[in-house]
Amino acid sequence: MPSALRHLLFIMAPLVVVLAVLPGVYQNHLLLFNFVIFLILAQGVNIIYGFTGYLPFGYVGFFGAGAYGFAIMVMHLQAPAVVAVVVAGLVGVALGLLLTPLLRLSGAYFAIANLAASLAVLHLVANPALESITKGPYGVSLTGTFNPNSAYIAALVVLALTLAGVVYLKNSSFGLALQAVREDSVSAAMSGVSVVKMRVIAWLASALVAGLAGGIYAWYVSVFYPDNVFSGDFSIFAIVFALFGGVATITGPIVGVIILYGIYNVIGFTTPQYFQLIYGLLIMGLVLFLPAGLVSLATRRGWHVP
Amino acid sequence: MLTYALVAGVLFGLYFSLVGIGLNLVFGVMRIVNLAHGDILMLGAFIALGVVTLAGIDPLFAVPLAFIVFLIVGLLLYWVLVPRLQGSVNPEMLSIILFFGLSQVIEAITTIFAGTSERSIQSRLLGTVFTTIQVKWFGGKPGRGGPIQIFGQSFPAPWVIAAGTSLIAIGLVYLYLYRTRLGTLTRAVMSRRDEALATGIDVDRVSAAAFGVGLGLAAVAGVFAPFMFGSVTPAFGADATVTSFAIVVLGSLGNPLGTALGGVVYGVCYMLVQTYLSSWADLLPYVLLILILLLRPSGLLGRQVRVA
Amino acid sequence: MSPEAKPILNVSKLVKRFGGFYALDGLSFHVAPGEILGLVGPNGSGKTTAINVISGLYAPDGGEVAFDGQQIGGIASHRLVHRGINRTFQVPKPFMSLTVRENIKVALSYGRAMVAPPAINELLEQYRLAEFAERPASELNSAQQKMLDLTRALATRPRLLLLDELAAGLNPAELDWIAGHIKALAASGVAIIVVEHLMGFIEHITDRVIVLNAGKEIFEGKLAAAVKEPQVIEVFLGGEHAA
Repeated sequence: MPSALRHLLFIMAPLVVVLAVLPGVYQNHLLLFNFVIFLILAQGVNIIYGFTGYLPFGYVGFFGAGAYGFAIMVMHLQAPAVVAVVVAGLVGVALGLLLTPLLRLSGAYFAIANLAASLAVLHLVANPALESITKGPYGVSLTGTFNPNSAYIAALVVLALTLAGVVYLKNSSFGLALQAVREDSVSAAMSGVSVVKMRVIAWLASALVAGLAGGIYAWYVSVFYPDNVFSGDFSIFAIVFALFGGVATITGPIVGVIILYGIYNVIGFTTPQYFQLIYGLLIMGLVLFLPAGLVSLATRRGWHVP
Repeated sequence: MLTYALVAGVLFGLYFSLVGIGLNLVFGVMRIVNLAHGDILMLGAFIALGVVTLAGIDPLFAVPLAFIVFLIVGLLLYWVLVPRLQGSVNPEMLSIILFFGLSQVIEAITTIFAGTSERSIQSRLLGTVFTTIQVKWFGGKPGRGGPIQIFGQSFPAPWVIAAGTSLIAIGLVYLYLYRTRLGTLTRAVMSRRDEALATGIDVDRVSAAAFGVGLGLAAVAGVFAPFMFGSVTPAFGADATVTSFAIVVLGSLGNPLGTALGGVVYGVCYMLVQTYLSSWADLLPYVLLILILLLRPSGLLGRQVRVA
Repeated sequence: MSPEAKPILNVSKLVKRFGGFYALDGLSFHVAPGEILGLVGPNGSGKTTAINVISGLYAPDGGEVAFDGQQIGGIASHRLVHRGINRTFQVPKPFMSLTVRENIKVALSYGRAMVAPPAINELLEQYRLAEFAERPASELNSAQQKMLDLTRALATRPRLLLLDELAAGLNPAELDWIAGHIKALAASGVAIIVVEHLMGFIEHITDRVIVLNAGKEIFEGKLAAAVKEPQVIEVFLGGEHAA
């Protein structure tokens, strides 16, 4: 059996099936939904950081833009939710296109510029001068499309597609070439790889994923403010979850989300600052002692981790 | 109105220079982006709060205190964190994440102890030491620390005091870099790290000193934050980091004195936008940062261009 | 070897400036398929800059580079790779976290080799990398990384191969071994440009050398003849004194 098929059958399929069945046996629907959203976002970060090497501190910009893309479609054009979700994805891609010049920057420069870009989009959306379009800082209410069950299914579909995308990256020469670009762009060009094209494709793919997730999030919660959907916590959580598990793998970000977001929900909601403290220490410990994530515990022993 | 905006811009700009200079020193020497920079500022502000509420004295006394405390903290942190980091595969990327983690830890601990409410200090308390000296030595009545007149416009006294302190601090940084032996070595490491290593310079010692001084300067800037921004919360750090980064990039990364120019340019832009386009003022630091990074990544004074 | 064959690369009056500094100042030369041309000259004379321009890392500021009859100045590197130009680096930077095999696989998949690409195991054997095939490139020593860099280039089946100090750091036995490989490549019709400081090695493998100084050609011909030219001697001795 080719390894791509094996990964789809033994990683993606069981995860999606379990998440599809869980709402029937577990009461906290919102929590399950958030798990799915973070699984999507962590894989989105995996595509752009793990495979391409760009650390997207402003990843939430695409998510928030997607949420507002959804809201504007529903509020102003009375679009059906599914159409609005697709538009949300396209809004993410459009923002990604607008920000492609940032890919000229490397390392910290890219990370900070991306963070600044996401904050700029937040302040644009939340600007009272744009109230007629975005409702500014006053938030949107989309009761007409409110349907958590459908939104949950849509999230599972996007998760499945995202995982399929990562399985492709892990098993294709395309994914290998992306990693080559990450390691050394000059040597990659001298291997015949079109460095700019590869980076842009990965960037837009990860923007699409976050835009779709943002649209579905807007669909699910239906009432939100700019500060909710542009909260830096989305970027941070997605990055930390992906790093904790181990990037440039399929399973790493999944393991990261399940363990860390699980812990978060045990101790998180009543005292957020304690969780912040724990994940701050966790990040530091990770960088100092386990920079390649949990999966490196296995790879160090010579085990192959998909 | 224009005069007011320009003078206020220069005052704020000098202060912004102080806000950014520590970040730039650390980056210049270690090629590490200290994402906890804003949180050190925030802690500096809390030192000022502590000095006022616990000791009841002029918050200006917090300046030397904050500097010394964070100089020591910086030296300790350096020895704990950096050697491990530099032995890794990708120190630059990992340092971003590491210091991001540190920033979360600082914010969380401060929140646990101080809560999330906004803290401010009465602005008349700043500089009372001057009036006290005036009264003691020259007689006269203790006056209130009222506004200060410049070009026929009045500005809050703390703005002027912060700007003055910043000028002194930048002057001291200049003396450190250009008139001391350690400073000369620091500049050597900044311009050519590998060659400095090869010539036998104790790069670790130079870097540790730069890290300590950088953190100390950030804390000093933080002492004035409650007066310049009205109030601070433990969450103030993240915004302060982005703003500092914008200032530093504007001046040119890796050139601490360029930050003085970056700060002033930023301050004037900030005040002009505040005055004439106030609803868009929030966007300024971010848009400015992106534009500078894309159009002139080396900053206004820089020579090295850094692109992927 | 057929140095009389029609040149595959024609460089004429090439100029490359960095600020006010002329790294290349009107350099002209040509190479034919099957020929091994040496570029020699003191440090900073423009050898590596010439290779960087020909391989598309820098766009020229003047003059022409023609490959296979077509102008290629300013074309992106990966496109030149597809047309049949490749190179090695003075300091090779393989994809460190990828395995040796994966390193070569990238070039095999994206190099668009004109003729059938070489078999990966054969390349690994030929360049003594077989036992490390499944290890990350970061575990190779620097000589092995150079060999990996060379196999990466060869995987794209270049018709013009630029070797930037491939031999530096190899021991005498390895030098003979790699010289044999380079000569065999030339014999198969590849045009090769070699930048090297080891004069013995240059003498042994090249058909012809160009001596560069300050971005200009000061001699062309056999290395044995070059070392008798007063101008060449002057440049090399002067270069040593200046350095």
